[in-house]
Amino acid sequence: MVDKKVRRALEKVVGRKNVLTEPADLLLYSYDSSTARGQPGAVVLPASTEEVSRVVKVCARHGIPFVARGAGTNLSGGSVMLRGGVVIALTRMNRVLEIDVANQRAVVQPGVVNLDLQQALSGHGLQFCPDPASQKVSTIGGNVAENAGGPHCLKYGVTLNHVVGLTVVLPSGEVRRLGGKAGTPPGYDLVGLFVGSEGTLGIATEMVLRLRPLPEEAQIVVALFDTLEAAGETVSRIIAAGMLPAALEIMDRATLEAVEASFPSGLRTDVEAILLIELDGPKGTLDRQAGRCASICRELNARSVEIGRTPEERERLWSARRSAFGATARLSPAMLVNDATVPRTRIAEVLREMQKIERRHGVRIAKIFHAGDGNLHSNILFNRDDPEDFKRAEAASAEIFRLCAGAGGTITGEHGVGAEKPEYMRLIYSAEDIEAQRKLREVFDPLGLANPGKVLPERAGVTEGDA
Amino acid sequence: MSAMSSRLRELEEIVGEENLLTATAAVSEYQLEGQMPVAVALPGSAEEVARLLRIASEAGLSVLLRGAGAHLHLGVPPSPIGVVVSLARLNRVVEYDADDLTVTVEAGVSLGQLARVVGEHGQMLPLDPPGPDSATLGGIAATNLAGPLRMRYGEPRDLAIGLRAALTDGSVVKAGGKTVKNVAGYELGKLFVGSLGTVGAICELTLRLVPIPEARAMVVAAAEPKRACEIAAQVVGSRLDISSVEVANWDALRRMRLSLPVTTGPEAWVVFVGLLGEREALARQEQEVRSLVSDGCARLDGVDADEVWRSLRGAGYPGGGTVAVCLTVPMASVREIVGLVPTGEQWWAVARSGEGRIYIGPAAEAELSNVQQRLAALREWAEEREGSAVLEWGPVEVKRAFPVWGDSLSNLDLMQELKGKYDPNKVLGCGRYLPGL
Repeated sequence: MVDKKVRRALEKVVGRKNVLTEPADLLLYSYDSSTARGQPGAVVLPASTEEVSRVVKVCARHGIPFVARGAGTNLSGGSVMLRGGVVIALTRMNRVLEIDVANQRAVVQPGVVNLDLQQALSGHGLQFCPDPASQKVSTIGGNVAENAGGPHCLKYGVTLNHVVGLTVVLPSGEVRRLGGKAGTPPGYDLVGLFVGSEGTLGIATEMVLRLRPLPEEAQIVVALFDTLEAAGETVSRIIAAGMLPAALEIMDRATLEAVEASFPSGLRTDVEAILLIELDGPKGTLDRQAGRCASICRELNARSVEIGRTPEERERLWSARRSAFGATARLSPAMLVNDATVPRTRIAEVLREMQKIERRHGVRIAKIFHAGDGNLHSNILFNRDDPEDFKRAEAASAEIFRLCAGAGGTITGEHGVGAEKPEYMRLIYSAEDIEAQRKLREVFDPLGLANPGKVLPERAGVTEGDA
Repeated sequence: MSAMSSRLRELEEIVGEENLLTATAAVSEYQLEGQMPVAVALPGSAEEVARLLRIASEAGLSVLLRGAGAHLHLGVPPSPIGVVVSLARLNRVVEYDADDLTVTVEAGVSLGQLARVVGEHGQMLPLDPPGPDSATLGGIAATNLAGPLRMRYGEPRDLAIGLRAALTDGSVVKAGGKTVKNVAGYELGKLFVGSLGTVGAICELTLRLVPIPEARAMVVAAAEPKRACEIAAQVVGSRLDISSVEVANWDALRRMRLSLPVTTGPEAWVVFVGLLGEREALARQEQEVRSLVSDGCARLDGVDADEVWRSLRGAGYPGGGTVAVCLTVPMASVREIVGLVPTGEQWWAVARSGEGRIYIGPAAEAELSNVQQRLAALREWAEEREGSAVLEWGPVEVKRAFPVWGDSLSNLDLMQELKGKYDPNKVLGCGRYLPGL
């Protein structure tokens, strides 16, 4: 727990009821959606940029580390304090400040939930493209900190491509405005450097987002396959054929079973893989593309191919996809989430190897892929009460990282490095590459107080679980 | 032996005698805005670039990085140049994974060269910056320049998914990677793209490609100026899948020497709506655009559309002793272009309505003091809208009189600190970018 002096200083900024130090409260903020755990010394809930700035100044003055937190849906331990410190929860800063239709921009606070923003926008015929599967709960602040993805970033790009301005509190407590409603200002791309920095360069307290008109129409092609590789190969072929669907998603049998058991939606569970292809665009432009996609699926021996044209049909399939992560929890009380990413030409080959890893380590892996991006979510199921089982899961995960890095890929496509993966950074970056990144961090956070222990490996670290 | 000549010897040892130019005749080809470099080095690999930069940094020898020289007009007139490091010899396509729609190239590969290589596979890099196709990808990345296609595909900062850069400490570092989605570590690539060669030398880039659309067309409509801007805004706000929307005034049309199938004149500006996509989809969209426009309009296809697109693309690259300023403002402000063009004077203006950008300049060589005054008014207008005004093209006298990048730049201290970390002896860039970078 933080000492009395610090506590009082924090209370002076946000009021007594917005500083939590009771053990039960601290426990609630000691975890996120990853396997990382760590109890903070205090939780502070500021209500404005000004308050965040003053809270950070208190931390800076007393040399206390801090981390910003939204809904806690982080999948890499990025929002957990590893060695004590202050959690700055931004859930009270949850207002959409402006929807500027003429400029196709929205200005929001970090605690706004992604789906709430989408709903506020749809009335204007607009959307914020990033749509992580967690969008019902995850906040825009978290999406920005992690450079979140989602199924539709295949066509529309990741969060980074949709953030044009930020108000940030630097680790010194100083407030800065980076970018804004107008396009790229002259100078270095500070917004681009800040998005995805996982809370280690400061805290974004206001964001200016690029919006897009909602597409007029969408269609969904659903194909069932007897092998996972065939589904993966289909994705590679669709990309190679020059089509750019809005989303290309694969779920394997384990995931399908979990989804059907939890949220029955009439999906067949006697196949090895289901591929969802979503196409969107202006009215009357999608039939031909849908037809081309369907014939590629058939060439790869899809057991069945259906085209869903109604909004109800699409919603049924999408809700199955979005609930997949939660539903997987039914299969196992805990899972290790791996979101390594590979070039799209290597998907089928990597999937084959992944199944070998599964067998070799005797683990079960539920697979949900943003296949069009080469982003492979392999959820490795384990029993938290069995340390041996956890070790097996970790060993399998490490092998998947190596497999994907070896195939020209990366260790994380959208979940972030967080607390779980810093050591794995060495699989894709040399010591010099990492030092060049460290310099960037030092400019923003010379005292090392902003979310320490995340993103970059320690200088003389030993790779954990990477035996 | 003087200190300088011993430094040059060191540079020569790295690149070989034939790749270090010191003779006046050879070096003078590389002079820039009155500054003659002491030497020109043509390294053959990223590692050689890094070794050159390390020696230059140790010796305090200023470095101007260069590709094909296509965009060296951009920036503040340089301070004295020690050595020009030309990346022209780094001109290999390193890896082309056509089925993944990604390509890795060395910095000296030109836009035209890449277009030929990937065009054979029906693909393209969706970047159409002003200027010639001899421009190198390293240079385009360093300037972050883009053209009409930016509305649909973004700018170099969006399309470069990975890079290798040589730093002044002699290292060559990788940033990003080869996958379209990657959040491992910091987006260090964003520091180099658009840094005008002031933090390191981009030696290799991995870029996203797109399939060449089956068909391309341009819908052209002429209308009274205010109405033209209104049409453009409507098209931008529609749910159509448009690739570019531009408005050009009469002087811009005359300057581009376009013959268009619509009637133009001082009071009839032209809206250009670019369409890319499948043939049938395009026809449908054209109908929709026509119904939005309602005024007289025509459709250009294939090479005719290409010719117009090339002219529009060149708006920021007027050539000669003229001036072009790029105003970047929130999208909706673009329609104010009508009041921005000085009345009673010949000024050309092209608005990129879908991205909040206006290119503008005097149609003829005007008197310096007059131009300066006009530019200051334009900058004030843009800054009042939280935008910026960059003097993208202009003779040295104009650049000296009117700060190229702006005069009220925010977060300069943060940028200067970043610069200091990667280029502690401040040898890169020759003072062409923002103050202190």
